Amino acid sequence: MTQDAAIQTSGLAPAEASRPVSVWRALLSRPLAFVSAAVLLIVVLVAILAPWIAPFGANQADLIHAFEGPQAGHPLGFDSAGRDVLSRLIYGAQNTIGGAGIALLVALVIGVPTGLVAGYYGRWFDSVSNWMTNLVMSLPAMIILLASRAVLGPTVWVLMVVLGFLVSPSFFRLVRGAVAGVRGELYVDAARVSGLSDARIIARHVLTVVRAPVIIQVALVGGIAIGLQAGLEFIGIGSGNIPTWGAMLNEAFTNFYRAPLLLLWPGLALGLTSAALVLLAAGIRDALDDRGREPRAPGRARRRAMAAQRAAERAELPVEGRGGLLSIRGLRVAYRQGEGDDVEVVHGVDLDVERGQIVGLVGESGSGKSQTAFSALGIIPTDGYVRSGSILVTDREVVDAASDDARRARRALGYVPQEPMSNLDPSFTIGSQLTEPLRVGGGMSRAAARRTVLDLLRAVEIADPERVYRSYPHEISGGMAQRVLIAGALSTDPSLIIADEPTTALDVTVQAEVLGILRRLRDERGVGVLIVTHNLGVIADLCDRVCVMSDGRIVETGETTQVLTAPRHPYTQRLVASVPDETVTRAPWRDPLLIEEAS
Amino acid sequence: MNKRVLGAIGAAVAAVLLLSGCAGGGSAASTTTHDKTLRLATMTVPQSLDPKDATGSALPFFQAVYDTLVLRTPDGDYKPMLATEWSYNDDQTVLSMTLRTGVTFDDGTPFDAKAAKANLERFRDSGGPDAANLAGITVDVVDDTHLTLTLQQPNPGLLFFLSDSAGLMANPSDFAQKDALVTSPDGTGPYVLDKDKTAIGTTWVYEKRKDYWGTAPDFSTVTMQVFDNENAVVNGLKTGQIDAAVLQTADQQLAAEQDKDLTLQDVLFDFQGILLFDRGGAVTPALAKPEVRQALNYALDRETLLKVVRDGRGQVTSQVWGVDSQGYEKSLDDYYSYDPAKAKQLLAEAGYPNGFELTLPRLTSIVTDNIASALQTDFAKVGVKLTWADVDAASALKQIFVEKKFSGMVMNMGQSSNDWIVYSTLIAPGTFNFFGTMDDEVNTLAAQARALPADQTAELYQKMNERIVQQAWFVPFYRMTYKLVTVPGITAAPQSGMAVPSIYNYSLSK
Amino acid sequence: MLGFLIRRLASSIALLLVTALLTFVLLSIPNQDVGRQLLGMQATQQAIDAKNAELGLDRPILVQFFDWLTHALQGDFGRSWFSSENVATAIGNRLPVTLSLMIGVTLVTAVFGYLLGVWAGTRRGRVDTFVQVFSVAGYALPGFLVTIVIVIVFAVKLGWFPAIGYTPITTSFTGWLSTITLPVISLSLAAVAGVAQQVRSSVIEVSRSDYIRTLTTRGLPRRRILFRHVLRNASAPALTVLGLQFVGLLGGAVIVEQIFGLPGIGSMTIKYTSQGDIPIIMGLVMLTAIGVVIINLLVDLAIGALLPKARVS
Repeated sequence: MTQDAAIQTSGLAPAEASRPVSVWRALLSRPLAFVSAAVLLIVVLVAILAPWIAPFGANQADLIHAFEGPQAGHPLGFDSAGRDVLSRLIYGAQNTIGGAGIALLVALVIGVPTGLVAGYYGRWFDSVSNWMTNLVMSLPAMIILLASRAVLGPTVWVLMVVLGFLVSPSFFRLVRGAVAGVRGELYVDAARVSGLSDARIIARHVLTVVRAPVIIQVALVGGIAIGLQAGLEFIGIGSGNIPTWGAMLNEAFTNFYRAPLLLLWPGLALGLTSAALVLLAAGIRDALDDRGREPRAPGRARRRAMAAQRAAERAELPVEGRGGLLSIRGLRVAYRQGEGDDVEVVHGVDLDVERGQIVGLVGESGSGKSQTAFSALGIIPTDGYVRSGSILVTDREVVDAASDDARRARRALGYVPQEPMSNLDPSFTIGSQLTEPLRVGGGMSRAAARRTVLDLLRAVEIADPERVYRSYPHEISGGMAQRVLIAGALSTDPSLIIADEPTTALDVTVQAEVLGILRRLRDERGVGVLIVTHNLGVIADLCDRVCVMSDGRIVETGETTQVLTAPRHPYTQRLVASVPDETVTRAPWRDPLLIEEAS
Repeated sequence: MNKRVLGAIGAAVAAVLLLSGCAGGGSAASTTTHDKTLRLATMTVPQSLDPKDATGSALPFFQAVYDTLVLRTPDGDYKPMLATEWSYNDDQTVLSMTLRTGVTFDDGTPFDAKAAKANLERFRDSGGPDAANLAGITVDVVDDTHLTLTLQQPNPGLLFFLSDSAGLMANPSDFAQKDALVTSPDGTGPYVLDKDKTAIGTTWVYEKRKDYWGTAPDFSTVTMQVFDNENAVVNGLKTGQIDAAVLQTADQQLAAEQDKDLTLQDVLFDFQGILLFDRGGAVTPALAKPEVRQALNYALDRETLLKVVRDGRGQVTSQVWGVDSQGYEKSLDDYYSYDPAKAKQLLAEAGYPNGFELTLPRLTSIVTDNIASALQTDFAKVGVKLTWADVDAASALKQIFVEKKFSGMVMNMGQSSNDWIVYSTLIAPGTFNFFGTMDDEVNTLAAQARALPADQTAELYQKMNERIVQQAWFVPFYRMTYKLVTVPGITAAPQSGMAVPSIYNYSLSK
Repeated sequence: MLGFLIRRLASSIALLLVTALLTFVLLSIPNQDVGRQLLGMQATQQAIDAKNAELGLDRPILVQFFDWLTHALQGDFGRSWFSSENVATAIGNRLPVTLSLMIGVTLVTAVFGYLLGVWAGTRRGRVDTFVQVFSVAGYALPGFLVTIVIVIVFAVKLGWFPAIGYTPITTSFTGWLSTITLPVISLSLAAVAGVAQQVRSSVIEVSRSDYIRTLTTRGLPRRRILFRHVLRNASAPALTVLGLQFVGLLGGAVIVEQIFGLPGIGSMTIKYTSQGDIPIIMGLVMLTAIGVVIINLLVDLAIGALLPKARVS
């Protein structure tokens, strides 16, 4: 047994994330994001190359042809002044995208650096810039836009600059939040300690964190800027002579009854570009979260067929010899993949827990022991499923059972998870979380539930149960939280407690106390325990029986003393052999100075 | 969860629809008996309800509560209102008026010559938008029912003014308190302002006056609602929430025509064109030559402009006199045909064979894209390089009229039915002739016309019109046809001398 | 808590003052010759100067500002220059319209945004795709196009709702409901999309967390866990978005107001700002600023109530 590997609480280890190369690949492999990026690229190219690809000038007008439809040389027809719609659309791209670009640039230049500094250094700069952000956000945007127009001139560029200024707080907040979150991280401290300058730290480490949310925000705000521009044109605050999509839309609207089709082209252009921006933003976000391609769940017919087959297999299982509290036969657990076949992680496991027994399930990480426990509890993560097998909880089958039946059967189970703090709902008091199952499932009155929970908290050796009852999870310590979780597991008066690595995250002394509590529970209440762990010491201390798992299979099972002192399976033998023992490998350390003095 | 939730949402939506259906979304009622409420829509907001601030298309707001001395009928005739008789002396400098007896304001103050005098003098001295109309006039009380107005020089427009904003009569006991009338109008008119229901700035509600001295109106309530776009007005007409409105834009007129229940009548009041202020060549020297100005007129393709800009809703014209006036001559509508070759020739004759540069201010509310590009293109074809200068509405007046930065501007101007007013507004040195350019022939004609009674002046004004057109003082495009739209059950008549009907022109259909 | 409120109050007052000053100066810089605009082109220069003096426009900008401020603190916001309305009354008349829209839209957005977001976040698959597409459509379609189509179909052609106008709730409840239904729907479409997206992301994220998994083992029904535990923890980003939208609506939904002929704050803003009617605009500015302060406070309090961990220490 080597070291404690990083514990995977959600089942499957996620793939490597946040490597720039793979993000792009992930992004471009999704069809929607790819198409959006392509559309945006085309739009930007059109905007840049406008003077070269537009067949006519933007304001080249021949009034005779006004409102005429598509014809040779003018595939989109003419507008209300006899100008070529296609050319105006192309130049409109330039001005609309350019305007949005200006707004974004201003917002980024103002928002990002101030956010970085405020988030990283904090203190007075942070307070001042927060106040200023609130100021900008409480300025009435429309009034400022109109008033600036009167002062600075009625062009669309002025409007876009002012818009950028008004929107900059959103970038400021985003960057500041991300940076402040990261500032306390260990790797930043490490960088500081190793002597990197602040600027270097910000540029290298902090910016990479900030990069992704900012890019997403840029896409979203870009869409908003384009939409706002169109809206402003509509109410008559606009660009004058300069063709923009918004101006074209407004002109089309003023001539709606004479030529309704004029709405189509700028509307499409605006709509497609905005949609592409939003989809791209969503795509980037999903790619960074590395939500791989969603596996397709099988259809109802297939599911029914699979369930029928499982039922058939179960019918052939022998009835005798099944454990009184928990009995698992032939359990197979698999995970659906985005691409390719399902991956099986548990390959046919048999397990029994009798009344008043403490059974240990031991193995390395990835052996499938947690998956087995989750199957019994019914909390296999999304995309995982029980492929075949039978799980009896106090003699009731829970595989393929109706959800209400399964839930009722599983009330006999209690779950003690591994990581105490993340397993408590941060928004509710301890008391509220613990009494809820009693009142909702058990039909207890509030007073009765409160008394029961206080008793439970005392039972898990919490000194001041009333205070803990009133507290929120972030107000208690880790060790206390683990006791609370045990109390929570007990609240439904279970017959079997399933504990998943209950001591790994705790200090050594607390570990001993928790184990003591579990033992006492078995002794005083006759509660059975299935303890999942990789720690042989815990097994030796606590368990009556032990099952050894490796690569999804149980390789050995038996009484603890026998398995630990005389393991039969080679894997078990290796496990037992790697526990540090008293063999001396080197001499004890002695202070060199003292040795010198002595000699 | 889903089916139940969906069901709940569906029920909620159905409930809302049901309730709203009952609430009176208002159907475009095709019943011909209309209720006694008249709902008008307008795009004009009156600055206040004090008659000294009355002007232009805001007049109906005032007509509801104040009577004028003289009533102008839809055809433009003058009939008695608060004044029963009037006559000029021989040299047209003294107007004697006989006033109606037995009319009092709400607080018992009688309407008499003293009251009329107080009103007229206040209007003249108040500095309001139309105050200049009564400039230089002195008012004298002869007795309780007789009044004389003395002019320094004959003013053929006076009767028109007395049938317009200047003639509005308010209760003089309110004059002492500043701004009393601004929100609490006090007059003798057919309606009274319902202050509780009125939300100044959006909706004005008037209730019928109980003891009106004149013919009782058909309606017991009149509401005037202000909109800032005609699209909402047309939707309101179609759903029966609005009873009458005047539509200016071609597109919305098209929209209204789609609804077969609505009645549309033509209103011809405004023309659109370039007012060439700079006939003296102060800003653009080339414009001092009449040939140059004529060339601009020949360069313009008015027919196409009318067809494209207004969907043909209007009448091409080269004159600024309107169809209601004496000076109007139909032949002058086509005086300037579309002839770019001739335009170039005239420019060459005037010494500008290569054209010249012209800058005009562009108010986006008036000069739409098509007008802007059409003018640029047409003028470019004859060598005149037209540049548009974007001015924003607030500072436009100052830049154009005070700082005199531009040689002209494209405007929508009303064509008064009173010839003298046409002359004094557009042609005589003044607001719209701020460079003060003059023409001897026009001056002579004007001096003659002002001193003569109205029935003798037709020929003079026609000659003046011809001279102005021939000298190309303006570049008119076309008269614009507006539509007066009414719903079934309401009858309305367009008003001579105003873009919108007088409040008296609405009635229930028989 | 008290300290938090006091600090908020102090910084809010400073905010209001600075906002007022900035806007006033910005509006006063371009001398828009208000006198001439009011009196029209025919007026004499003398009359115009007299009018400008009457309105106090011949004084230095800061003097004008302090004059306005002293009056405003006493509750006197003056009169509009262009329509003689009492500023407080004028805004007060229009506020119910905008408030109706704001509250209506926020309610609809919150309810449907949450429902759709939860639906998408829990069902995944085809439902999720539909919500995503709907969100994109909500963002991408220009708002006024949607509004115009809605008016034409539901008001003009079908006649289910009035096309224009506003009935105050005091006059008739059903009337009020009928006049705000279409505007609220128009405004909500894009807003629902945004909130649904946020809720969906948060729900997916929170559903994966350890404590949700643990709660499942205690025998609680899935629906209860979803609506009580998942939603509560997933709410913070959605609440922030709702707050931002609410603030945005305070600025007035200009386009919707224009199309429906609603006398609200938005069209008022456009009209009077274009003219340079400073008394009205300053009244609007103060309204907006105070509204933003209050809404931000409410959002922070709401998040604090829902998520104890986020409470300001």
